[in-house]
Amino acid sequence: MLRSSLVALFAFASVGSTQDVNEANEQAMKAAIAKAAPWVVKIETAGGTGAVGAAGGPASVRKGVGPTSGVVVGADGFVISSAFNFANKPTDIFITVPGHPRQVAKIVANDTSRMLTLLKVDLKGLAVPAAFPKAEIKVGMWTLALGRALDNEDGKTPSVSRGIVSATDRIWGKLTQTDCKVSPINYGGPLVAVDGRVMGVLVPASPNGEGESAGVEWYDGGIGFAVPLDDINAILPRLKEGKELRRGMLGFNPKTPDELYNVPVIVGNVAPQSVAEKIGMKPNDKITTLDGKPVENFKDLMMLLGPKYDGDKITLTVERDGKTETFKDVTLGGISATISQPFLGILPMRDDPEPGVEVRYVYPKSPADIAGIQEGDRIMKFGPSAAPMLTPITTGRTQLSQIVRAAPLSLDFKVELKRKAGAKVEVVTLKLAALGEELPDKTPPKSSLERALGKEKKENDKELEVGFKYDLANKTTGRKYWMYLPDNYDKNKSYGVIVWLHDAGKGGKEREGKDVFKIWETYCDSANFILIGPQAKNGVDWVANETEELTQTIQQAIAGFTIDRSRVVVHGMGNGGSMAMYLAFNARDLIRAAVVSGAVLNGNAKDNLPNQPLSFYVVAGDKDPLIKEIKDTNEKLKAKKFPVIFRELKDFGKEYLDQKTLTEICNWLDALDRI
Amino acid sequence: MFRRIVPAVLAFGLVASMPVSAAEPVTKVSEQVNEKMVKIFGSGGFKGVVNYTTGILISPDGFILTVASQTLDTSELIIHMYDGRKMKAVVVVTEPVLDIALLKIKVDGKKIDEPSGLDLPYFNYAESLKRPIAEAGDWVLGFSNQFEIATRNEPMSVQQGTISSYAKLHGRRGIFDFPYTGNVYVVDAITNNPGAGGGALTDRKGQLLGIIGREIKNTLSETWINYAIPLNAKVETKDGDKPKIVSFPEFVSLGMQFKYKPVDRPVVVLTAGGFHGMRFVPNILERTPPYVDELYPNSPASKLVQVNDLVSFIDGEPIYSIKSFNDYMRKTRPGMTIRLEVRRGDNLQTIELKLEEWPKGLLPTVPLPKNPDPPK
Repeated sequence: MLRSSLVALFAFASVGSTQDVNEANEQAMKAAIAKAAPWVVKIETAGGTGAVGAAGGPASVRKGVGPTSGVVVGADGFVISSAFNFANKPTDIFITVPGHPRQVAKIVANDTSRMLTLLKVDLKGLAVPAAFPKAEIKVGMWTLALGRALDNEDGKTPSVSRGIVSATDRIWGKLTQTDCKVSPINYGGPLVAVDGRVMGVLVPASPNGEGESAGVEWYDGGIGFAVPLDDINAILPRLKEGKELRRGMLGFNPKTPDELYNVPVIVGNVAPQSVAEKIGMKPNDKITTLDGKPVENFKDLMMLLGPKYDGDKITLTVERDGKTETFKDVTLGGISATISQPFLGILPMRDDPEPGVEVRYVYPKSPADIAGIQEGDRIMKFGPSAAPMLTPITTGRTQLSQIVRAAPLSLDFKVELKRKAGAKVEVVTLKLAALGEELPDKTPPKSSLERALGKEKKENDKELEVGFKYDLANKTTGRKYWMYLPDNYDKNKSYGVIVWLHDAGKGGKEREGKDVFKIWETYCDSANFILIGPQAKNGVDWVANETEELTQTIQQAIAGFTIDRSRVVVHGMGNGGSMAMYLAFNARDLIRAAVVSGAVLNGNAKDNLPNQPLSFYVVAGDKDPLIKEIKDTNEKLKAKKFPVIFRELKDFGKEYLDQKTLTEICNWLDALDRI
Repeated sequence: MFRRIVPAVLAFGLVASMPVSAAEPVTKVSEQVNEKMVKIFGSGGFKGVVNYTTGILISPDGFILTVASQTLDTSELIIHMYDGRKMKAVVVVTEPVLDIALLKIKVDGKKIDEPSGLDLPYFNYAESLKRPIAEAGDWVLGFSNQFEIATRNEPMSVQQGTISSYAKLHGRRGIFDFPYTGNVYVVDAITNNPGAGGGALTDRKGQLLGIIGREIKNTLSETWINYAIPLNAKVETKDGDKPKIVSFPEFVSLGMQFKYKPVDRPVVVLTAGGFHGMRFVPNILERTPPYVDELYPNSPASKLVQVNDLVSFIDGEPIYSIKSFNDYMRKTRPGMTIRLEVRRGDNLQTIELKLEEWPKGLLPTVPLPKNPDPPK
């Protein structure tokens, strides 16, 4: 008897003392939740582009449309949230601050570097959270992730997930990592320390992607991220003024961009008109310090530069010819959006094996026209006026196009011509222009010299099956598609490719493919295009993560034909158009243009890259409820200096195209190899 | 007797000589909880339905609670006890409104409603019910045979986590294709995996809080959710035509007396709902916002709503599109009053509308969705 009571006593002692520790932690955390609760707001949205998981982000997770969360950051009604919560461009946003009735909210500004959105409601005297100092955030500290999407029945207490700080300074020094369950249930909500102070604001993030939904695929996976509140407070004044914050950039590529650790940062290309060019950085400069901190490799540089914004000032030292050069108070630029594609103003003759490039057409008032270049002239050499020698054009229009695209707009260039009349050789001088909305004022009849495969013409293969073929499937990926190979296909001519991406719910129907084929058949025959209509993997709608496989399917479908790489185009309407733009930005080796109707670009446009040019033709109906978003799409593309043609059709809603626009698109498509 | 002392003394010694935070209090609790849990094997193994699940003992003679899953659709259920014994069990009664089933272990030679003669460790449901509801932030443990990791005498998988919220899942929080509409405990551990349904959610001390539910997805946020049905669950429903409150405690106490009758769930007939008198902008998008385009003269809305108002909430639930407005209205009837919140400029206006009968010739031409099949 005595013994058993002893056992009981011992057992009590051992359990009792440990439970006190847990009890104390549990109670402290509940007190922290109660303290932070008034700062956590609920955000509800209506309208917007809805379930286009397709074109925004990684897509096993569709973009949610349910309620989300935010954190009060200004007593006068400012709320910060994750940009993810607005990725579907809602038309209406409502915010419920605890203790207040629901309010209409407006977006004030976005931070596209840390993927935050600042909102404003008409309330005053709100409680503002105390920030847990960023410098004191240490791995292993308890954390609580709070959200409003699934808050408690009492209406006061937010939802909670408990965890610890997993790491600090993640994703180029921008984010704190936690093992709390972070998902659309609490994106935008606070990550709270055990004392109730706010460490940061929860966002999806991934080291491998940009955009407001990158990293969503990790939801609830024990890998969650928060933007430190200290960092947010530092940028709040700028956001409150309505300034859109972007990542700060210098504007150069390192010589070895894939090598993060083992080699010093040596400047490779300096982008034209970039900050790097303006301050006088040169190829082969070795970057040694940034803001006084040593830069030993590209990772060091990214960690120091990653948290900076467009407009921030830095001090940089480089080693050049054994000497140290210092660049003081350099103001960083936004993403290298300032690069326009240079334009000479000609259409080249295709499928021409001879040296030089025959001018098929001259754009009126273009640099070529002003310099007196005429149809039928042959461009033999090209180069900067200051260069001792001009570069001979030996490999045709591809070579000329590359040279022109890489040429700065500020310099004078010389073009050596062999005139059509009299085969006289002349040299003209010109300045290139920025490529914009130029359209040929006529369709030049002849486009090809039909010698794509060399000086000798080749016979078509005997087994070649031309015409419309439905129900094809890729052998490795299994993806279904239909295809039209023009009846008059001739392997001596190079063919453009039009990839039709069906609208949501329209895929896999033979009827849809045939309708599209009938519209485009004549044009494909006359302008030398192959038409191909792949089907979304799930048969209904596009998801972003099928991009790679879709690209593979297209590549393999056109393999074996004579393809003009400068005229590979994606085309679609509605969600198909959104996917077309997404594909254009993510398969840049392949796609040169996108023609979209009634389609919204989700997320931001990527940068205009000189060696992977992209052009856009955007059609909107003025009665389309998404007209505002489509206009935004046009603005976003133009802001990145992409050549965009935007057409708003009167009395049009969700229809495909009218005849006039279709004709114009045909002319535009034929001119995609413009130089 | 002597043997039993040793481990306790050792444990005490360990605690005394080490910092308290290094102790492992879950060890003992999990041993105690495991004795009260069973692994259930039934039908399934096809079309994504697993043939195993978890249950908890709630009486010494072998009553078991679990989730009313398809795994139970068989005459032969096999139970594995914590000590490795293998026994048969039968379903006593299920309540689809609660999504819970009551089972009893069948001892050969005994009828199911006779005392089984067993004396098993069990959770005292009535005692557990007396404890307060768990709150957001409470630390919890989940016990289940998820993924059929354990068989026979192997213990359940234990997970630790936190109560995220005590809340209803439907309506303003999301869309769930799920029969149970009462409050749940949402937890931040990934507890709801295949075979976990019917597992135990307990507090840090092993006291029963609820029954781990199914794998369900919130179709609004497209996220999986981990939840348990609390012991005090109550659901307002209808038994035939009469309003009825289905309660989990009553299900358990009457069920163990073989007296519980599941409610006769009414068939929900979808109609066009009550007449409000608003016409919206053309619905050509998947998510066209419900902007008022026109008001029928002398209709309930005609004096209160204005053209260009945006209907944003009905009875507190967010309205995302014309489609979600129509879906909501189908549940209404003439004579009911609904509370609208409409966006007018930069303000939200609250408007109460008393719905009327549809005037002749005005009934919406949009085809109604198919009525659901009557409950089995």
